[in-house]
Amino acid sequence: MPEGKLCNKQTVDTEEQLQALLNDKSGKQYYEEMNHLDVDAKALWATIQKTLKSRLRTWLEICAHCGMCSDSCFFYMANKKDPTQVPSYKIQSTLGELVRRKGHVDNAFMQMVMDTAWSKCTCCNRCGMYCPFGIDMGVMFSYLRGLCFTQGFVPWELKIGSGMHRIYRAQMNVTTEDWVDTCEWMAEEYEEDWPGLTIPVDKQDADIIYTVNAREPKHYPEDLAEAAILFHLAGENWTVPSEGWEETSLAMFAGDWAACKMQVESVYDAMERLNPKRMVVTECGHAYRATVVEGPYWTGRKDGQTPIPSFHYVEWVAEALRTGKIKIDPAKKIKEPVTYQDSCNYIRNAGLKDVAREIMGYIAEDFREMKPNKEHNFCCGGGGGLNGIGRYREQRNIGLKVKRDQILATGANLVIAPCHNCWDAIRDLEEEFEIGIRWSFLKPLLIHMAIVPDHLKPEE
Amino acid sequence: MFEKILFATTGTPTCDHAAHVAFDLKKKYHSELTLFHSMGMPSRGFSQFVKDSRTGEEEYLDNDYADWVKEELKTYYAKQLAEAEGVLFETTAGESHREILRAARKTDADLIVMGAHSRDEEAGATRYRNVVGSTMQRVAKGAKCPVLIVSRPCTTCLWYFSNIIFGTDFSKASYSAFLFAYQLAKAIGAKLHLFHALDMSSIHAGKAVSQDEIEREIAEARERIEKTYVAKMEDYDNYEVEVWEGVPYVEILKFARERNGDLIVMAHHTREVDPEEAVLGSTVEQVVLRAACPVASVNRPDKVS
Amino acid sequence: MYAFVTGPLAWLSFTVFIVGIIARIIWYFRGLSWQLDRVAYKEHMAYGIKGAIRSIVFWLIPFGTHSWRFYPFFTICVFTFHIGLLFTPLFIFGHNVLLQERWGFSLWAMPEGMADFMTVAVIIAVLFIILRRNALPEVRILTTPYDYLVLAIAVAPFVTGLLAHHQIGNYNFWLIAHILAGEIFLVAIPLTKLSHFIGFFLSRAQLGMDYGIKRGGMKSKGLAW
Repeated sequence: MPEGKLCNKQTVDTEEQLQALLNDKSGKQYYEEMNHLDVDAKALWATIQKTLKSRLRTWLEICAHCGMCSDSCFFYMANKKDPTQVPSYKIQSTLGELVRRKGHVDNAFMQMVMDTAWSKCTCCNRCGMYCPFGIDMGVMFSYLRGLCFTQGFVPWELKIGSGMHRIYRAQMNVTTEDWVDTCEWMAEEYEEDWPGLTIPVDKQDADIIYTVNAREPKHYPEDLAEAAILFHLAGENWTVPSEGWEETSLAMFAGDWAACKMQVESVYDAMERLNPKRMVVTECGHAYRATVVEGPYWTGRKDGQTPIPSFHYVEWVAEALRTGKIKIDPAKKIKEPVTYQDSCNYIRNAGLKDVAREIMGYIAEDFREMKPNKEHNFCCGGGGGLNGIGRYREQRNIGLKVKRDQILATGANLVIAPCHNCWDAIRDLEEEFEIGIRWSFLKPLLIHMAIVPDHLKPEE
Repeated sequence: MFEKILFATTGTPTCDHAAHVAFDLKKKYHSELTLFHSMGMPSRGFSQFVKDSRTGEEEYLDNDYADWVKEELKTYYAKQLAEAEGVLFETTAGESHREILRAARKTDADLIVMGAHSRDEEAGATRYRNVVGSTMQRVAKGAKCPVLIVSRPCTTCLWYFSNIIFGTDFSKASYSAFLFAYQLAKAIGAKLHLFHALDMSSIHAGKAVSQDEIEREIAEARERIEKTYVAKMEDYDNYEVEVWEGVPYVEILKFARERNGDLIVMAHHTREVDPEEAVLGSTVEQVVLRAACPVASVNRPDKVS
Repeated sequence: MYAFVTGPLAWLSFTVFIVGIIARIIWYFRGLSWQLDRVAYKEHMAYGIKGAIRSIVFWLIPFGTHSWRFYPFFTICVFTFHIGLLFTPLFIFGHNVLLQERWGFSLWAMPEGMADFMTVAVIIAVLFIILRRNALPEVRILTTPYDYLVLAIAVAPFVTGLLAHHQIGNYNFWLIAHILAGEIFLVAIPLTKLSHFIGFFLSRAQLGMDYGIKRGGMKSKGLAW
């Protein structure tokens, strides 16, 4: 059966494979090869039979075709109520059809499935809250992505992304040395302003083990410095692991479940190796979802919990403000209208809506809720890996309109987005539509507002 | 002095004057020169897209592209390269200021040379990462070594620096700037002008100040310069102390012009203003924008003491 | 004929209905997998049950969820239809007479006028549901002949019952048709997508447990459905 050199059913496990993919400009050859990729119907059907159990089968079967999911989907809204964007239609015409045909589908069908699974759904899970039967099409699309991955029908960037995790245990080619060196560098760069500032690597028995998104050491290392400053201000006994510091999972977006398992195991190993009391992850939504919410199941932890209690950054911030570990200078609270982008991955799918509001109460004078908000908030438009897929840029940009209108309706100038994907999508939204907003993570804002105790100030 | 120079360039005419100075410095001091170019920010989440910092076009980041960019740089600086030996090339993708700082750290540079603006900023693309403030300013803030910013043709520099203007506000960072200015002056036999401007814009805002008081403050500042800096200069006597009053950046520019200054050395204050307000705020930024000569920003003692 | 449809055929259809429902429940529970579904059902049963109950109860209340409130017209249709569908056959006078005759007990019987009202309401609700299916592009695209068939199965006992009761046309014909329609309905419940009769509770409970255990239930007061 024809398998491409780049586009095939193999996973990417060596640097040579990865480099070959990276050198394929825009994935041109990759997608060309995909046109000739065979579908292994037998294997596909075997996988479906093994993994499509009563929950998913019931969902596929009992869907009443009532259309109540339609308005829950931001793609449907953004595409002028295009009926082909109704979640039920999207899943019935892909996974539903795949099951009806017992896996006997052709290349064109699989490409259609891939395009649907990655460009018409961000797995935000909002539709599941609007279906009377509780049919969660986000869950089904995530499952469908897994099927696509096994057949090699996966967007180029995500094939690369899952390969990165397999090779580097990080979504980008950041090695252990790069990471440790970045920690040293940031401590050096900021220690003059913050005497005593350190970024302790591999400290045993700390109170907090801090983990990040690989983009931070790669491109925005000041984010790491800012985290260090806030821990320093709060007087936390913290550390970062030299290995197992990456929480994100492009593998999850790709549907490469084996790579997901490898990735979170590296983090759990760090927890077990360094024996900290708890884990805090940076301002990233899918990182939390992957490592804290889904990860325990990938690695077969029966209680569904991480080895040590794990917290999203907003939980730590709320706690630090609540207990007074970090004090906000009332004069420096945010005065302008400000809104908060509820990330699907840690608000809808991890229940942290209240801590987010608690934080806003401490730092903002004119906080304005988006409508809808909390667990009912719309996806930023770039979730589920969509931000990074060149092939679906156009569809992504259309989808951004819903978030644009939501933000405009609040009248806020500043959007706080403690999630890398949301942050990126809102940046791109501003680039695309130029509505004149600013956006920020919490860290830089907090440093600006925090009262610095005298003993932590630099000598002049 | 100037053993390892990092020249951060966009490879466009905006950096031509800086290039001139960088290559001249290499010639004079036999420095190791690294040409560094940050190709642009990989955007689109984790994707391989790069917005080329020279053309503004969207490109895919791969080895071919990186090689192509290096070739472009070599072509662009062909004339200078013909006269210089052993120039190194580095390119990378990322946020410009961050990557310049990373490269400076990696190459252990003791001087960064750069222009004041990149094309990106001209195009108003500062919203790129929602950081206000230019690459130059952020490099100046974070760099451990002096940063030489060249935005105009260096007409006054006659084989490099005969009148070095050191502007101080007596901060800790200013002391590092002093060390750099002093060592440089001593090494090349230039005249060192130690200058301070009494800030009339903020200190005395809304309050009438008597001439007596101004004069008293000027005398105090002179004394402070003598004590803080002149005392450290041992037997070096080719210097002058001057204190004026007014808006600091205006005064330092006026002073530099009057004394035919060919290099202004000052501190970029790490905590002076936060970058958001600093677009118009920081003195160093204002001086860079208007000065006829290069400006060296020194913020830390690491590479000057 | 009457004896046959009310005798062996009735027994058969009730058997299929009950056995089918039980089989559905067993099949559903056996198919749940903590690792495939990624929900630690057993380890956190208390959170799971709380989530399941919330997930079911809010959805049983008219306008009890964001979604019900978002589609008020359809919500009224759905609740009218389902309340009529479930309660009319149980509490209608004629059925209770039959119960009394055969098994010697009966339930509360609703007045005749109310029965007529509910029957008509069910039929009108179905008409609106069909209209909506055709009028709205987002529903039309989902609709298959199967959906109409299922609606027909559900509404047939009401139409035939109404005709028989008011003796419009041939009473005997409509009576037999009514009984057959009812039996088809019963058999169809476990065998078609009418299985949402039980599937609704199973699926809602599962998603409720998912949210209650894994997706935030242990860190918040629960999802605002």
